[in-house]
Amino acid sequence: MEVKVLEAEGNSVRFILSQSSPAFANALRRIMISEVPCMAIEDVFFYENTSTLDDETIAHRLGLIPLTTDLDSYVLPEECECKSEMGCSRCRATATLEVEALDGRKTVYSGDLKFDDPHIRPVSDKIPIIKLEVNQKLKFEAYAKLGTGKKHAKWQPVAVAAYKYMPNIRINLKKCDACRVCVDACPKNILQVEKDVIVVVDPVSCTLCYECVKACPQDPSAVDVSWDDTTLIFNLESVGGLSAKQVLFKATEILKKKAEEVTKKLAVKGGKQT
Amino acid sequence: MPVRCFTCGGLIGDKWEEFRSRVDGGEDAGKVLDSLGVTRYCCRRMLLSHLDILDEILEFSKKFTKGSR
Repeated sequence: MEVKVLEAEGNSVRFILSQSSPAFANALRRIMISEVPCMAIEDVFFYENTSTLDDETIAHRLGLIPLTTDLDSYVLPEECECKSEMGCSRCRATATLEVEALDGRKTVYSGDLKFDDPHIRPVSDKIPIIKLEVNQKLKFEAYAKLGTGKKHAKWQPVAVAAYKYMPNIRINLKKCDACRVCVDACPKNILQVEKDVIVVVDPVSCTLCYECVKACPQDPSAVDVSWDDTTLIFNLESVGGLSAKQVLFKATEILKKKAEEVTKKLAVKGGKQT
Repeated sequence: MPVRCFTCGGLIGDKWEEFRSRVDGGEDAGKVLDSLGVTRYCCRRMLLSHLDILDEILEFSKKFTKGSR
């Protein structure tokens, strides 16, 4: 198996996974979405809320705020030794907020949350949580915990985790008369004419829409589009709590652990039978 | 304003205020979304179709919030 990174920009990565299979890519994709842990607010204790939104609505909004995640310092509450419902310093980070609108309407932002651990903070400080009218007050304490996307989408570290097959576009040069119809038909502008010959410029961008095949006036079409399902183009965009690279590494780690577990169990079973 | 996109889960809440003020300032909404890096149409519709009604609710709540404590 081989990985070639095409683009890595901010939170998103695009790479080619070659000599692989859709089954492997899908396993990776599903783990990224539902099993890579990340931090999110889970419990909120309201001391005062005279705002227009009720406690549950605010708690829900707080939960959705992506938090920077430190996977080395925290463990999942289920795996923590404390076995406490409220958690301990190994499995939760505490945030407090106390805002009162005194002079006029005030927007409460994610940046107003004060976390006890400096490594945990909102990905963006500009997310509006609520607006307060004069004399309205909001005061609460929130516990952020690690969790997985399996349980709630707020713990999903990625916005996009998708792959597609590597397109394979061939032009039959014996039949093609470079009439340009397919070049104009392509919505992604992948085909170009160079010296009266149609050439494929950027096959990775192809969406396998078949417009070029359908547009060709020749019968049968001089353009042939197929795909290679052992080479996959993977698109990954993280929400920001973990970088796309961290998500990918953690996902491969989890997949490896799962595979080892299966081989171990199979070996035990095989041993008993013989 | 929703914190995340309903469909993909991407963060959009932090882009709302800039989007609103720039569009109100006369800029083309599509171009503002491009410059904010909102590329997918699921996230774009979140910002384009959102209507902030909290200000109106606040206007109403004024009458019910105690003036002094």
